[in-house]
Amino acid sequence: MKPSDVRVILNKYEEDRGGLISILEDIQAKYSYLPHDALKIVSEETGRSLVDIYGVATFYKAFSLSPRGKHLISVCMGTACHVRGAPQIAEEFERQLGIQSGGTTTDREFTLETVNCLGACALGPIVVVDGHYFSKVSTTKVKQILKNAKDRLDKISIEKDRRIFPVEVSCVRCNHSLMDPNFLVDGCPSIKVIVSFENKHGWLLLSSLYGSYKVSSEFDIPTNTIINFFCPHCNAELSSATACTACGAPMVPMIVKGGGMVQICSRHGCRSHMLDLNGINF
Amino acid sequence: MIKLNTIFDLNALHDRLISSAKPEIPTVVITAGTCGQASGANDLIRIAKREILTRGLTERLHLRVTGCHGYCEMEPSVLVEPRGTFYPNVGIDDIPEIIDAAVKGITIDSLLFKEPVTSEPVEKQSDLPFYKKQVRTILSANEKIDPIRIFNYIENDGYSALMKVFGIGKSSRIIAEIKASNLRGRGGAGFPTGLKWQFLADQPSRNGKYLVCNADEGDPGAYMDRSILEGNPHSIIEGMIIGAYATGATEGIIYVRNEYPLAIKHLLIALRQARDLGLLGENILGTGLSFDIKLVKGAGAFVCGEETALIKSIEGKMGEPRQRPPFPTQAGINGNPTAINNVETWANIPVIIRNGAESFRSIGTKNNSGTKIFSLVGKIKNTGRVEVPMGITIGEIIYDIGGGPVGKAKIKAVQTGGPSGGCIPSDKFDLTIDYDSLAEAGSIMGSGGMIVMDEHTCMVDVAKYFMNFLKEESCGKCFTCRKGTQRMYEILDDVSNGEGSLEGLELLEELANSVKDTTMCQLGQTAPNPVLSTLHYFRDEYEQHVEKGKCPAGVCRSLITYSITEKCNGCTACLRACPEEAISGKKKERHSIDQSKCTQCGACWSVCKFDAVEVL
Repeated sequence: MKPSDVRVILNKYEEDRGGLISILEDIQAKYSYLPHDALKIVSEETGRSLVDIYGVATFYKAFSLSPRGKHLISVCMGTACHVRGAPQIAEEFERQLGIQSGGTTTDREFTLETVNCLGACALGPIVVVDGHYFSKVSTTKVKQILKNAKDRLDKISIEKDRRIFPVEVSCVRCNHSLMDPNFLVDGCPSIKVIVSFENKHGWLLLSSLYGSYKVSSEFDIPTNTIINFFCPHCNAELSSATACTACGAPMVPMIVKGGGMVQICSRHGCRSHMLDLNGINF
Repeated sequence: MIKLNTIFDLNALHDRLISSAKPEIPTVVITAGTCGQASGANDLIRIAKREILTRGLTERLHLRVTGCHGYCEMEPSVLVEPRGTFYPNVGIDDIPEIIDAAVKGITIDSLLFKEPVTSEPVEKQSDLPFYKKQVRTILSANEKIDPIRIFNYIENDGYSALMKVFGIGKSSRIIAEIKASNLRGRGGAGFPTGLKWQFLADQPSRNGKYLVCNADEGDPGAYMDRSILEGNPHSIIEGMIIGAYATGATEGIIYVRNEYPLAIKHLLIALRQARDLGLLGENILGTGLSFDIKLVKGAGAFVCGEETALIKSIEGKMGEPRQRPPFPTQAGINGNPTAINNVETWANIPVIIRNGAESFRSIGTKNNSGTKIFSLVGKIKNTGRVEVPMGITIGEIIYDIGGGPVGKAKIKAVQTGGPSGGCIPSDKFDLTIDYDSLAEAGSIMGSGGMIVMDEHTCMVDVAKYFMNFLKEESCGKCFTCRKGTQRMYEILDDVSNGEGSLEGLELLEELANSVKDTTMCQLGQTAPNPVLSTLHYFRDEYEQHVEKGKCPAGVCRSLITYSITEKCNGCTACLRACPEEAISGKKKERHSIDQSKCTQCGACWSVCKFDAVEVL
């Protein structure tokens, strides 16, 4: 844990004296739990006693004082899930993982928790693993869910997945194609743009497969950097009035052949994107 | 985004959007609320985009991604406009075909919904039995709106109520209109909204006044608010701006539980778009009104749905309720006057303003006007979210809309109002839905959870479930709630283990009544409801547990045994499912259960397709 990281979070809430819960949420999002040293810094900076902060941290269920595993499994225990057998599902997870609910496996792979209601009651029993919802879960499905979680749920196979398809794009200003058949990314012609960040200026190649996030660039771009994108033909900046729905950075628009507009987030590492088939429409 | 500086700008934008819309072009609508996404809606969207692009159909077909339409059992579903064709449980392989048909203006009969009795295909969503008896003044908007696009909302008359309010120009007339509508708080307690606004408007503003949207939908089994937050966030924002204009509030807060990531995402987008467009912030549309809304996330505490606890949580403290008065309208957030309304209440505001109080009052009954949204879940065929006029009977909801039981087991009760509510037995299903009659029957309206229970649901187990929930969620401030819920749970646990006694049941009842009378906040005061209502209507089930050591529903583990009957054909499904390896038997021969290994988990019973596993 770096004290400076905690201070960055605290600065975000400087004017908001009620922001303690948000501060703790941000710290937990960063470290997966609330480290004691981080809480000490929060106490020093906000002037609230450590007891007070621990009071809040232990009052709310969402906070954890011990490190959590790589994968978080939440078994819904809402009434609708309960009458459809959620307790047995939770038990089966406990048995398979060899831990009690609320616990973390010794290899830090899994944390198991039960939650009161996830609000997807019609599909119960519900289990959420790393943000992925599994509906109508039965005890016999538990093993497979754990296996899928270990294999990474967001892994995609470019070759086989029908949800992935190539797009051809052009500049929003000069309408010149941005496709570069000489450089392949994911085995397909890439999208070539000029980028600049932190006084650096160079080319960037994006995969033209919708659903693939592969890029290759002239420089190493640090994660979280907001990049300026330019058309290599007319040198106009590719920038739209839309802000990224996930992080607030400006979006980068490109015209899609066949109709519509694709926008990607200009922040390196943010995977947010939008594909509008009927032109930009806020 | 271009900022709107006047009411005329907003009106002009609305007109421009209407005139540039092309309603004659067919639109494929994919429902992608949390339920839809959990059922694979995101994959459908991808495939639909791929098809439309690769086949060059962008000029001939539109795609709209929306929040939930309500019929969760049929998710992921696709609706094709303008015909209103409804395709239930769509798989990714069906999408190319649906797109083809949509472009040609035809339907695919094999993919349509089948009427359960006659097996006849039903094409239009509005003709489905699930939708027929509903009155969807709020929820119908979900189909029309892509929640992350503010223009979509404006095109569908969004923010027109706000324009009307600015046109009226007098805050007292807005409050009078809300009062005239008889709108009562949809969070469950049913306090008249107009009156609450009046209280806030009457308070002097020293350091500002607050409006809060209570989106801490904590009742397990209830998700009405989530689907409004996800599917139509601007309706809440519009309602709150109207509220600010009427009451003189300066700041708005939407308090959302963090278990709703999609709702949070859509709200943040909606707030940002409204701010960019000039509908939030300083001098809104040049009217002089300054009002902004921020989002505060909860952190997993049920008690924070109680208004004084919610205020503490917004202030960044432990969410412990406090004594009232002073009421929040007198002293709320940081001591400033605060009015708190539930999500559904806020969503009703634009509807009332747009159509007038009289039109709102024409739905429902005299003291219970308008519609109420319920989440109909549990042991019922058509699970989903339903919006019905007040005054409809429980039976109509369960049998006509809900389609009755799933299998052969009879429905025996419905639980309303979450942990604060009670169970209503099936012989009382002619009861009408309104705040007063439900309270009379020992339950409450609550926020709208409706959990259906059948013969395989044990009422002792249900009471124990709620008491377990409440003992965990009690904030601990009042002794009677903290210890009372704990002790009630212990007695119920004894009953479910076959260790209860008749005296224990009497003690339970006495204790329940004491907790009711001696706690401070609503959580404690209503905590005994699940116990008292089940004791009242299902005492025989309790007595069977205590006297005969039997659980008639076959749920309480210590009181049941599983065995395999001669119906078994040796398919080995149970053998493979048993986590304890307690089942043995050869293929195609009758299996048996080793009772010393069996933990009564019920896995064998749930996988058996031949009714060969018996519970005794």
